[in-house]
Amino acid sequence: MRTRITLTLIAAGATLAGVTACSTSGGGSSSVSGGSASSGRGFSSGCNATIAFIGPYTGNFAQIGEEQLHFTQYAIDQYNHAHHASIRLVEGDTQLQPAQAVTVTQQFISDPNVVAAVSGGSSQEILAVGPLLSRANMVDISGSANQDNLTSSGFTSFFRVVPRSSLQAQDISAYVLGHLHPKKSVIVDDQSSYSTAITSQLLAALTAGGVSVDHESVSQQTTDYSSLVSKIGKDTDLVILPWQIAANAEQFAQAMQEQGVTATIFGTDGIFSPSQFNAAGSYVASFAPDITQIPTDQSLAGVMEQKYGTFGTYGPPMYAATEVVLGAINKLCTAGTPVTRENVLAQVRNTDDSSSILGQPIKFMPTGDLVGGRYFIFKIDADKKYTVVSGVS
Amino acid sequence: MQLFVQLCVDGLTLGCMYALIALGYSMVYGVLRMLNLAHGDLYMIGAFIGYFILQWSGGPTALALPVPLVLVCMFAVAAIGSAGIGVVIERFAYRPLRKAPSVAALVSSLGVFFLLESAAILFFGAQSRSYNTESFLSFHTGIHLGPLNISLVRILTVVIATATMIGLTVLVRRTSLGRNMRAVSADREAAEMLGISVNQTVRNTFIIGSALAGVAGVMSGLVFGQAVSSLGLVAGLKGFTAAVIGGIGNLPGAMLGGLVIGLAESFTTGYISSTYSNLMVFGLLIVVMLLRPSGLLGKAIAEKV
Repeated sequence: MRTRITLTLIAAGATLAGVTACSTSGGGSSSVSGGSASSGRGFSSGCNATIAFIGPYTGNFAQIGEEQLHFTQYAIDQYNHAHHASIRLVEGDTQLQPAQAVTVTQQFISDPNVVAAVSGGSSQEILAVGPLLSRANMVDISGSANQDNLTSSGFTSFFRVVPRSSLQAQDISAYVLGHLHPKKSVIVDDQSSYSTAITSQLLAALTAGGVSVDHESVSQQTTDYSSLVSKIGKDTDLVILPWQIAANAEQFAQAMQEQGVTATIFGTDGIFSPSQFNAAGSYVASFAPDITQIPTDQSLAGVMEQKYGTFGTYGPPMYAATEVVLGAINKLCTAGTPVTRENVLAQVRNTDDSSSILGQPIKFMPTGDLVGGRYFIFKIDADKKYTVVSGVS
Repeated sequence: MQLFVQLCVDGLTLGCMYALIALGYSMVYGVLRMLNLAHGDLYMIGAFIGYFILQWSGGPTALALPVPLVLVCMFAVAAIGSAGIGVVIERFAYRPLRKAPSVAALVSSLGVFFLLESAAILFFGAQSRSYNTESFLSFHTGIHLGPLNISLVRILTVVIATATMIGLTVLVRRTSLGRNMRAVSADREAAEMLGISVNQTVRNTFIIGSALAGVAGVMSGLVFGQAVSSLGLVAGLKGFTAAVIGGIGNLPGAMLGGLVIGLAESFTTGYISSTYSNLMVFGLLIVVMLLRPSGLLGKAIAEKV
């Protein structure tokens, strides 16, 4: 009897976990108002399909995933509202774990109503789910995965609206050499694969540019940077932090301030977070622009701020990715072609959007990379505001 | 020379925090002969409590109360809060397993560790909370001699940690509570036969050890500037390493172990490379274990067969 009760409880728990991990939200349930990047672009009405969101909206990276989910949901809500359509969004929580990403992706693949996916997770997750989605001919457009090898791993249905990682080192070193002219600099990696890859590219580029570069390394779990700052000393002009955790960079900046070290900090896209890293005078790169500074996006930015509070650069690319999928579905509906995975994939390959909310056209290379992808560089003002200084055409 | 002094200051500050955590590990191990792996999370909870007291006092940029009073409240409430959670953990996760094989209590403490960390994510969120110490304890206050910078918050940390450690030593050596703790540590059954309440003594041990972790958590927030749910893992690991290096169960050993680790990390970062600081700390642990298996100040205990 006790065994039966235990088994029943385990089964109930597993069911609850499954439901939580892969909950469904009906399209059009949220109220929609304000500006629209997709409305007024000639979408036809009457399209019905389901799009999957794959991303980390609970756990340690919930802050990122929630922002991505909000923008994805809003893009669909706007579309449904403007065109009386019934596009649905199903959500799969990955918690940034490749194994969990595989589980939710398999669930979506087994659902014939799901015709495409937009993913907000990491490159590691894409590496895990890429083969599954390719075999299923299901489009997956990422708004954040920028590892170079994602578009050279043979994933036939993978696309991204953000530039690949190697461009980041290229754009940062060009800016540093062209504008900051440091005599002595130090790069501190955070021992993650993301960080060490960018570090080696930056080391090569800056050394080739004639800059003296030291290299240090700290774990992401480090809490005390004072000894490292003591070592860096006051004769260093520039400290580059290719890190993934913005709060750690803020802590590093505080340790510098405590010891009177005045070197300029240059962070990569991993620490782009106006709410968590705001050391005045620092620079931060990002794979996406700050849409609050793009005039045509003011209305959308205002609505999103009103609904969900301040946001960073993770949400807008997901909006753009969702728009690509919606555009593909719309074209199929307008032409009277069945909205199948294969047909959506073919349409996405031919995407040519000249005016995305990211302030740049969206067109994909045959590999799935964004044509003309580039990084944006921001400077943090004395009033802790991020202002773009490079990357805007 | 300036770098040497600066690294000493950095290492001492860090070492004091490790020492306070290590004391909690050592006290519990000394009395119960069990490893409380959840101890690092009490440090994390202390950091969060300190943060919330700071917010309730008006926030770092607009404190409604005098700074010394806010600091006293932060330390006091964090110590009480962490001690309260420590008591609950002892009562519900460890006491029922006191007569079970030691591995059961170890696994239970591992479970409590994950429970507390998950609960922290649930209640406090995954994002870090900034103390913004500079706003109310300026880095410009303190000792500044040429390139040498010792901020007031670091001086405060070393002073509070030293006073706490001295107070604890006096408590253990000179009070009836300390005598009971030493008696239970030496022989639990004999102590019980002498009329000492083992349950009460163990509870008091958890109260003191957990309060120390809470104090260390606030210190960490003030010096390093943030409270985050993952804070307990590394701090707990380093505190545990300090306790083992010093001789687990030995209070002066825990203090020494904490300082050794803090200074080792600091000097490795400053003179070799930050890349090797963890390598040095855990390498040191292995070396000490090989040369003195009972730790620097620990005594070898003969096993009853």
